[in-house]
Amino acid sequence: MAEAHAALAREVPDNAAPFRPAWPRRVFAYRDAVLVFAVLLIAWVLISRYVATAQNSLLPGPAKVFSALWDALPELWRGTVASLAILVPGFGIATVLGVVLGLRVGTSERLRRTFFPCVRVAAPVPPTVYIPYAIAVLPTFRTSAIFVVFVGAFWPVFISAASGAHSLDARYRDNARILGLDDFTYHRRVVFPAALPHIFSGMGVGLGFSFILLTVAELFGANAGLGRFVQYYADFADYPRMVAGILYTGLVTFLAMTLLDWTRKKALFWLR
Amino acid sequence: MTPGLTLEHVGVRLGAAHVLEGVSLDVPVGQFVSLLGASGSGKSTLLRLVVGLAQATSGRLAWAGEAITATSIERGLVFQDYALYPWMTLTENVALAVARRDPRLPPSERRAQAHAHLSLVGLADAAEKHPFEVSGGMQQRAAIARALALGSSLLALDEPFGALDPVNRARLQDLLLEIWDGASPRKTILFVTHDVDEALYLGARVVILGGAPGRVISDFEVPFPRPRDRGALLGHRDFHRLRDEIATRIDRDMLDRLKAA
Repeated sequence: MAEAHAALAREVPDNAAPFRPAWPRRVFAYRDAVLVFAVLLIAWVLISRYVATAQNSLLPGPAKVFSALWDALPELWRGTVASLAILVPGFGIATVLGVVLGLRVGTSERLRRTFFPCVRVAAPVPPTVYIPYAIAVLPTFRTSAIFVVFVGAFWPVFISAASGAHSLDARYRDNARILGLDDFTYHRRVVFPAALPHIFSGMGVGLGFSFILLTVAELFGANAGLGRFVQYYADFADYPRMVAGILYTGLVTFLAMTLLDWTRKKALFWLR
Repeated sequence: MTPGLTLEHVGVRLGAAHVLEGVSLDVPVGQFVSLLGASGSGKSTLLRLVVGLAQATSGRLAWAGEAITATSIERGLVFQDYALYPWMTLTENVALAVARRDPRLPPSERRAQAHAHLSLVGLADAAEKHPFEVSGGMQQRAAIARALALGSSLLALDEPFGALDPVNRARLQDLLLEIWDGASPRKTILFVTHDVDEALYLGARVVILGGAPGRVISDFEVPFPRPRDRGALLGHRDFHRLRDEIATRIDRDMLDRLKAA
């Protein structure tokens, strides 16, 4: 009976919170963040004006940087396209393979025992060390860069998919057994959605690695791309453009992360 | 006569723990059995054995003359907590069972049948909702619809209405009786509960598990004719006598186990 009462109590709508319009609360929530940005911007202005005064300053002010950014936009856009042509396939293949193999290995005790010792050795190798070798072995810069991005994103996705599949709620598994689901349906309709929270956090880490590896790989041999842009203007000591490139790359990374986050929220609508 | 469920000296050990020992039980096809017992008496374990989710370490279990070694769509289970898949709509949840019953059905027909099963339990309007969008009672109705869609001839239910408020609980009890009574041939039902009233209202027979390790400590037919009426039962002297006997039996068993521990 106590349980029944508890259930009833849960179903009573929560009227305890006083009514408050939504938007001022939002503004308040971001107020401190906006303050931090303002302080950083002011500090930037002050540093560029009073600390670094030489003509070709290592610390260009915001005005210089933003005008350089504006001028470089077409070139940056071409760089973005070139970079995404490496990032998207690399990260995409890593995600698909990582999820498929991770789920498969995660649901089988035997496969886990077989492959995880190897994974523990291979996964922690910093993927940057593969770059020179990949460039030497693979035919074009693009394929070697895609490979390196793939290696960087694969392990986090694979490991998180495997652990998500492994930690599957026992009720979901029992349910599938009662329903007599075949192996493929079980993985596609039960294990995969149940492991999605894990998979998305692995994808977040993987995407971060992808950007790091992409830009590092571009330092080695690209003729276009975001990392290449920064390196190129640094070589010419054109620091306003270089800083503009850094800011722009940060923005692209931020947008990619936001897109992933948005997808995650859409996909995990059932999680509460 | 076709044999129903047979358990012979069934025992379960989980490591050092004796969960069940020497459980013997014969349930004829179509019987509604209420399974009672204090928590920890092995009721849920017994159900898991019967549906094939767990294996006995000794003894034999058989359904319709065949040894139970794994799960089968002939033996369905409705869980204590609703265990629908939260990322699927109610229709999609039920359609999984429909597809298992008849794998050659085209998807549209699958959905139509799933919808029909949901209508049967009064969920026609909620069919396209997700489990978290409906109440606990509705989730449990959907779980019953899914078990029906599977078409099992043996239905095991593990405290299915334990988390519901009294009104919904009564409604679902009647729904279950209606389904059981309306089907021909009748399904065999194993209904685990810790609510004595519920066990007496639903079951044709009450089996009580107790002791450590768990075994059958009481097994009797419920003498009340069907259709049963809640109000009339409450006015019945035998009902109160039985209820007290059972409650005392379970309480004493629990005290014994506390002393032993």
